Amino acid sequence: MSTPGVQQPTVAPPRPGYASHAFRRAGLACSLAFLGVFGLDALVFRTHYYTQFLEPDSSTGQFEMILRREQQAQQRYGDNMIAAFGDSRLGFSPRAALRLRPNSAYVFRVAGMAGTDVRVWYYMLRDLDPTARRYRALVFAVNDYRDEDWGIPEDDPRLLHYVIARLRVSDIPGFFTAFGEPKLRWEAFRGSVFKGLVYQTDVLAFLSDPARRIKWVRLYDKYWQLWVWNWVDTDRNMVGLRIDWTAWKATLPPGMDQHQRDTVRDFLMYPPGHPQTGHYAAFRRKWFGKIIDRYRGSPTKIIFFRLARGPIPRPDNLVDKKTCSICELARRPNVLLAPEHDFDSLEHPEFYKDAMHLNREGGERFTAMLVDEVTKLLGPPGAQGTAK
Amino acid sequence: MLFNTIQFFIFLVVVLALFYASPRAWRKYILLSASYFFYGSWNWKFILLLLTLTAIDYTAGIWIERTPPGRRRKIILILSLTANLGFLGIFKYYNFVASNLALALGKPGNSFWFDIVLPLGISFHTFQSMSYVVDVYRGQQKAIRNVTDYALYICFFPQLVAGPIVRARDFFRDLLHWKPPTTDDVARGVFLIALGLTKKMAFADQFAKVANDYFGNVAAHSGMVPAWTGVIAFGMQIYFDFSGYTDMAIGMALLLGFHFPINFRRPYLAASITEFWRRWHISLSTWLRDYLYISLGGNRHGRWHTYRNLMLTMLLGGLWHGASWNFIIWGGYHGSLLAIERAIRGERRNVERWSWLYPLQWLLTLGLVMVSWVFFRAADLHQSVAILSQMFSAPHGRTLLTTWQNGLIVGSWVLAMAEEKLDWFERLMRAPVWAYASALALMMFCLEIFGVIDARIPFIYFQF
Repeated sequence: MSTPGVQQPTVAPPRPGYASHAFRRAGLACSLAFLGVFGLDALVFRTHYYTQFLEPDSSTGQFEMILRREQQAQQRYGDNMIAAFGDSRLGFSPRAALRLRPNSAYVFRVAGMAGTDVRVWYYMLRDLDPTARRYRALVFAVNDYRDEDWGIPEDDPRLLHYVIARLRVSDIPGFFTAFGEPKLRWEAFRGSVFKGLVYQTDVLAFLSDPARRIKWVRLYDKYWQLWVWNWVDTDRNMVGLRIDWTAWKATLPPGMDQHQRDTVRDFLMYPPGHPQTGHYAAFRRKWFGKIIDRYRGSPTKIIFFRLARGPIPRPDNLVDKKTCSICELARRPNVLLAPEHDFDSLEHPEFYKDAMHLNREGGERFTAMLVDEVTKLLGPPGAQGTAK
Repeated sequence: MLFNTIQFFIFLVVVLALFYASPRAWRKYILLSASYFFYGSWNWKFILLLLTLTAIDYTAGIWIERTPPGRRRKIILILSLTANLGFLGIFKYYNFVASNLALALGKPGNSFWFDIVLPLGISFHTFQSMSYVVDVYRGQQKAIRNVTDYALYICFFPQLVAGPIVRARDFFRDLLHWKPPTTDDVARGVFLIALGLTKKMAFADQFAKVANDYFGNVAAHSGMVPAWTGVIAFGMQIYFDFSGYTDMAIGMALLLGFHFPINFRRPYLAASITEFWRRWHISLSTWLRDYLYISLGGNRHGRWHTYRNLMLTMLLGGLWHGASWNFIIWGGYHGSLLAIERAIRGERRNVERWSWLYPLQWLLTLGLVMVSWVFFRAADLHQSVAILSQMFSAPHGRTLLTTWQNGLIVGSWVLAMAEEKLDWFERLMRAPVWAYASALALMMFCLEIFGVIDARIPFIYFQF
């Protein structure tokens, strides 16, 4: 870059292509470095080396423990099993099922977890049942057969943390493009390529006290299944809750804590008026569709049922639900639909510990009802389920 | 546009592509436009300030050169320096002076305040500009006739907002006799960018969490151990933050064919405060030495004058960092330590040499430096005193640093020692491509595991 008017010493002209050679070499080094860091990341996070030390109380840790537990259950119970999937609202207890319906023809298991949706269940099932023939039936709990838009379901960033350990390199394109928001897409892309970015918090916690983590993980490995099996839900209930839907006013019973109040506000009394764009229907068609596609031609049945809607259900006329994606999916082979109102009898404040979740009594009733309904739908082992 | 963001890297790649794809005659215009765009992305209004200072010192340089030595030449120099210091004073020190004046008059501290936004990097580019005018005045630098060249010297984006403070002779050597970067330059440039990014995001930002937590609520962490670990965390943060920024700036400049001087040379290995200042923010400390300490007389007028000059230089160095009593005390503290060392050492040169006393001297120096960071980081004098009283109380409390953070400190110390003794950075730069790529991969992996990715913690020195 010479400047006219300024005296300059004579400088030998640069060799042609010199800079480009230097940049090519640097480009090659950077490409190799990216490959190297991908390899290092894969060595640590795409193998069993690190995932065995995941914090058990984390989203990924819980997902992995449930997966391991259900894989072990497959060895114990053979192929006469039914796995239920749902989020925290599911309220199904395998222990209660065994106690209340000891003569059931099937072994009922739960592979769902709090905060999850159908995408998480898809990745769970892919590794839980690689041959797609392991279960008699897969039972999916949904809040409603009809579709109500309330946000953008695919943009839940928690997904990445639940399924990160299960993501394969071939999943990357489909996984990150499934997010709608560009920022989440970017996070999902970089996280699914370099898994260490997603595990970072866990790794730093591990490095803060490795011995304690290892001890903690061993303790969980030894006792977690027992803790979960023996866990008994609360008897707290919502008796006294009244909602005047015309005045949009809830009367809460005395002694309700903040969490219970919040669930009334957020789950039952959220304002209607969210535009009904068909987004949620498309989301369910896509992801339940992927699961149903996996089980095409398999002896495993797919069963949908509608959860009890709450201690006091929202009136149906609040939102004009235009589509019923679950009804559409139920027309496909191998898919069964439980009658929509099967669990309406649980929609009473005495069966709920807050506005969303069943209490002990509600959960036990629901468990027994679900076992009965699924058995009815499937018929005895070996029979074809016919009910629709 | 922070250096540690995707946006900046896109900007850098576009600038590099345009720079090398364009005919040579256009390149400085591309750099100038990119630099103003970079500066304008923070606050475009301050481009006007930058242009004003550029015009003043460009004109002053030519005017000084045309004027024969004497009183008139000196007046032009003083006018130029007054303009620079005037802008700096208004934007950076007005509210400080006004609040102290108000308090002295018994009025509320904010009685005479103006709502002034500090222009980004003003301390750096005014010092750079002043050094040019002084060099022209001293006859050490020819006045630059081409206004584009001079404007680029002031606003070159890699070092515009936080240095290093580049001398005119270094910059114009590269600008006027530009040569394409060699393979070593590019290798070093890429390596320094990766290293700087790792220092900033994986080290500085992690320590920032601890330091911010501690200094944000000192009362919640009472005791000697939390106080020392909180201060050490800040000491680590500021080093990795600032040297990381500088590494990136030097690296980017190398990719564009410019060679900036080194700004940090493993300062926490220093065995004396004098040595520390030869290793820490070298472009500022040499600037202060060349344009302030020597102008004040340096060590030419006896011991007491030397101590006074050291003290004045460091006090002004402290004030350069920010308009608060804490920075003045920080500068005064370092000035006192330098004077004490000078008094003990006498006129002997401070030679950096291994001796059996080194561990002891190193530990003492490190401790003294850490104590100084209290004034640098604390919100006010009151908090500084509270922290110092905790640091020198009986051992009590729990460490704020986790095992892996201690590991990062020890690991970086080992790497620094290895570099000091074995010069491994240079060896790596010339190593086969696979070895060089492995080092880059290790840094990236470190970024992946320890990097604070989405928090976008700004560089500390951006506020100066």
